[in-house]
Amino acid sequence: MADMNRKIQELLSDYAGALRDGCLPVFLQSLTRQEGRELTSSRDFWEAAEVVRVLNGVGFADKAAIADAGLFASRVDANIASRLKKAKSSPRPRRTNGARSMTKTQKTEKPI
Amino acid sequence: MNKRLRNAMKGLTAPDVDRRRRAMEPFVRETFQVFIRYLYRYLGNEVECEDVLEDVYADIWENPDRLRDMESERQLLRTVYLYYMRKRLREVYRRMNRHLYLSQNDLTNLTAPELGLLDTMSQSELKQALGRAMGRLKARERRAIELWLQGMSVRAIANELKTTVGAVKMLKFRTILKLKEMMSEYCHEE
Repeated sequence: MADMNRKIQELLSDYAGALRDGCLPVFLQSLTRQEGRELTSSRDFWEAAEVVRVLNGVGFADKAAIADAGLFASRVDANIASRLKKAKSSPRPRRTNGARSMTKTQKTEKPI
Repeated sequence: MNKRLRNAMKGLTAPDVDRRRRAMEPFVRETFQVFIRYLYRYLGNEVECEDVLEDVYADIWENPDRLRDMESERQLLRTVYLYYMRKRLREVYRRMNRHLYLSQNDLTNLTAPELGLLDTMSQSELKQALGRAMGRLKARERRAIELWLQGMSVRAIANELKTTVGAVKMLKFRTILKLKEMMSEYCHEE
């Protein structure tokens, strides 16, 4: 059977392509076991990946369609409001040290 | 740190929850463009960047202690990446991991890496360093990277350079390693 595993330069090229196109999961899922091992052991790949990220940031981040900061701020505020609501509505944490309230203990105690 | 950012950070670490909430809006307005561009490096996808950043800001609101006594924009970005963004970036692809032939460690290094020398540079510094490094490349190497940055596929670059797809991938790999070396030199000089 022919060796279908990609070489390290092909893996880097595919990683760069996936990052540029915003579809990293597709690249991650395309990796075979052998390719995964090759990535782990290749120092060059990790060094090159750092530059690929820089190129992605410098070359494409400015062209990305980024939302308006004011609109985004209201989205963040809604997230905070939802966290506040969740914190208020969540039940009290249960005591884990085995201590019980006096009234409950007294209720279960048998009269001597 | 510039005055506007310093003002925007006032109230961010206040003990009162509502005051902190009010302080978030100017902070978001002042830092949004920088933070989202920084995240874009790792995700390359606007929608995911916004989702992650929304949680990052909410995390900052919930636990802002790490942002006390920030002295520069670089320190702020570094702290936000290390203590807020990285955790969220890891979560983006964590759910995928059981279907992958990649260790958890490698997945983390690929999607939310430790800060390297280049990661700590600002966007303008990086542009400058990249410009200088590109100027020192051979014409064919520079052309391959420029075409890539224009958004061309490897096949289209191969057609343009009148070579094979495999040769372009190799050329790109070697050129990127060369760029890494040159940009690291630039960092040390600075």
